[in-house]
Amino acid sequence: MTERILSALEKCGIADYQIVLTQEESAELFFIKKELDMQRCKKVRTANVSVYRVFEEGGKRFRGVSSVRVQDSQTVPEMEKLFADAFYAAGFVKNAYYDLYAGAKEEMVEVESTLSGKTLAQVAQGFAQALFAEDVQEEVFLNSAEIFARCYTIHIMNSRGVDVSYRKNRVQGEFVVQCVDGQDVETYQDFAYNDWNADALREKVRNTMELTRARAKATTAPAAGEYRLILSGGYVDEFFSYYVRRAASSMIYPKYSSFSVGCDVQGGEGRKDRVNLTMKATVPFSDEGIPMKDHELVKDGKLQMIHGGNRFAQYLGIEPTGVFGGYKAPAGEVSLGEMKSQPYLEVVNFSDFQMDPFTGHFGGEIRLAFLYDGEKVVPVTGGSVNGNIFEAQKNLVFSKELQVEKNFEGPKAVAMDGVSVAGI
Amino acid sequence: MKVKQSEYLKEIKPVLVKLRDRLLAEFPYASLLAQDSTAKNYSVSKTSTSVQMDGRLTGRGFVAKVYDGTSYAEYSFNELSEEKIEEIVTAVKGGLMPMSGHLPEGVKKSSYAMIADEPLVFADSTEYELDPEEYGDEKIIEQLTKFSGAGRAYNEKILDCRAFCSYQKYSKLFLSRNRDMEQNVLWMCGGLTTMATRGEEVKDSYKGFSVLGGAELLKEIGENVSKVAQTTLDLLSSEPIPPGEYECICEPGVTGMIVHEAFGHGVEMDMFVKNRALAKQYVGKPVASDLVNMHDGAGAAKEVASYFFDDEGVPAHDTLIIDHGILKAGISDAQSAMHLGTEPTGNGRRENYERKAYTRMTNTYFEAGNDKVEDMIASISYGFLLQNASSGMEDPKNWGIQCMVDIAREIKDGKLTGKIYSPIVLTGYVPDLLKSISMISDTCELGGSGFCGKGYKEWVKVSDGGPYIKARIRLG
Repeated sequence: MTERILSALEKCGIADYQIVLTQEESAELFFIKKELDMQRCKKVRTANVSVYRVFEEGGKRFRGVSSVRVQDSQTVPEMEKLFADAFYAAGFVKNAYYDLYAGAKEEMVEVESTLSGKTLAQVAQGFAQALFAEDVQEEVFLNSAEIFARCYTIHIMNSRGVDVSYRKNRVQGEFVVQCVDGQDVETYQDFAYNDWNADALREKVRNTMELTRARAKATTAPAAGEYRLILSGGYVDEFFSYYVRRAASSMIYPKYSSFSVGCDVQGGEGRKDRVNLTMKATVPFSDEGIPMKDHELVKDGKLQMIHGGNRFAQYLGIEPTGVFGGYKAPAGEVSLGEMKSQPYLEVVNFSDFQMDPFTGHFGGEIRLAFLYDGEKVVPVTGGSVNGNIFEAQKNLVFSKELQVEKNFEGPKAVAMDGVSVAGI
Repeated sequence: MKVKQSEYLKEIKPVLVKLRDRLLAEFPYASLLAQDSTAKNYSVSKTSTSVQMDGRLTGRGFVAKVYDGTSYAEYSFNELSEEKIEEIVTAVKGGLMPMSGHLPEGVKKSSYAMIADEPLVFADSTEYELDPEEYGDEKIIEQLTKFSGAGRAYNEKILDCRAFCSYQKYSKLFLSRNRDMEQNVLWMCGGLTTMATRGEEVKDSYKGFSVLGGAELLKEIGENVSKVAQTTLDLLSSEPIPPGEYECICEPGVTGMIVHEAFGHGVEMDMFVKNRALAKQYVGKPVASDLVNMHDGAGAAKEVASYFFDDEGVPAHDTLIIDHGILKAGISDAQSAMHLGTEPTGNGRRENYERKAYTRMTNTYFEAGNDKVEDMIASISYGFLLQNASSGMEDPKNWGIQCMVDIAREIKDGKLTGKIYSPIVLTGYVPDLLKSISMISDTCELGGSGFCGKGYKEWVKVSDGGPYIKARIRLG
């Protein structure tokens, strides 16, 4: 397909282009209770081709781009029409001029993984074993689950010499735990691993079963008011996403974010724990072919760099880092035990927790929380958290204990004072 | 004008027929779904313009579904020719089917009957006024550039205005032993987002638009630029709402979010199969005020989720879900219906040919009532008009509500005071909210600018809406 794409581009006289070829295979298992409800396999190959056009108007220089999707079923004449139309459209895309990222041909990178060397079916079956290994109780059990074992090869080329490729294995999925001990309740969890972390999945199932059992005992919502809030698990990741997203060049260049290198992203000195973040490379190359490596983003509350792709980096006069797939934060100094030695509301399950990078608002409906009034811990359910990071970041406390989530490594929990909760 | 048939599907159909027959020689049931789809996204803002095909919605590909006498399996692929038929059959027989051979201890394969596969031959297309492909990228970008500029020029406090639109033109072919079905559909949607700053905060306002049709939608987007920009400016003076339960009027977009997120997901009957939906226990029982009638169906309205048959070859329906407050029926895909012993309702939908079909909503809405909006507002001594639905999450198991709106306009003594609260989280128990509905406006609006996920994936185009409703809702 690559030769036909290049031939069609040449025939159209298109000098500037980028091609991203993706080949993906998967083995998928879908379970309902202890039955395999459906099995699926997939084998697909696609290409995303961006064509660029440089033009001037009113004394200004522009670089327009238009992207199309190409498949093996398309003939060269079909591709030529597609590219010619895209090239025409690119002439109306008046983005300020920038140079395409320049690179070189590199050897294919096989992303190291303990999933390699096994068939996708074996990977799916192995993780199914781990998933069901903890499903041994009567009142708390797996209601349903989905497992996707994937292998994909990405090949990125452009007209400025980039010619890089990598192959990666990944297993991901989701499961729902149901508890019928007391109330009939459930908890949703997703998972994703780049290695054979079957034990981690097994532990996740076990923990989810414990949480779901606790939720079955929760009957009331917390009273409306302000609480010392503790967020844990994947919600810590979403909380930190405010800093990551505001530090993106695509947010800073149009002035949606006022972050600049050296600025205090936490709003000033005198804060409790300071924010520290490192962007994590999860693939060898970005979609533009930029080699990816870990970068320190925030150190003691101060922004160390602006991250993002090639175009906005050039506009800002900085080096492009590529778009990152994950980030990590160091441990705090307070243990979970110390964090919970004074009254708190610890939300361990939201229906959907969201952090808005524009307004700094965060919140969600509480599916399960533990309320400690200084004397006893009570599971609660219902009501919603409605906070704002501009206030909350003044008194953040991070746990000493760490967690590894899908694309995040960092403290297991973060505590903050005076967060508004709509309850009963 | 009717959407034209895909030339590619017309050409490849004889090969598909051969593949179907080859699979039927191996399995008692086999079907093929073929898709040829083009989808494009356009966006213009202060610093960025983009035109690109939508990777999720664009593509030519196929799903083979086979039955081995016990259960079903699927193979998704996108390279097909006469020479590849045996390779595909081998992948199904030798790669796909043995996967169930090594299941964890105590786990077995589900046992299903064979799909009835009643004979059906069908071909039809939706209609449009202006084909976006013929209208052209140049004119679409020109229009969006004009809207974006007008939004930024509305007031010096406006930081940016993003104008955007998308369309999908797709053709699908479904072949089984007894079915030969073809459909061609075009929808377009778009929106405006304006932003303004208040210190470190960036306040934004969004309005979406949609049509089962084409670029005729652009006119409607352009007519709303000032309104969206003014809403953003209004938000600059907003403050957090004191948590509590209030009398509320929901505009149609907020009604739609409640219909879809709070209730609709709970009547997707694959959730009944898994015992994940409380609604299963309430069929035949009251779940809402007797003023409420709720529908879902690709054939229930002409909107972006309208089609003639679903991704399992089941014709589109108009399902009456709530009839005067009584839960009558859910919606289902073919496999869930077989499991439950019910009739499938044409709601088996895939994100694209690469994905599994699940029970999914289509066009979901409450019917209009008899009240005037002004009478509804006048009936409130203290409460809020809720506008600009922003997000929602389902909880079919427990009927908990999580919906977010951007604006709550204060109502005092039957009049809007001009005071605005934002952002707003709606919480509570779904039947409590639905039973508290005491007035319903005499107009009904549907919108389909967004996509719906199953949990956090499997995005499909949906529309939702209804009339203005008056209800008691817990806000925070």
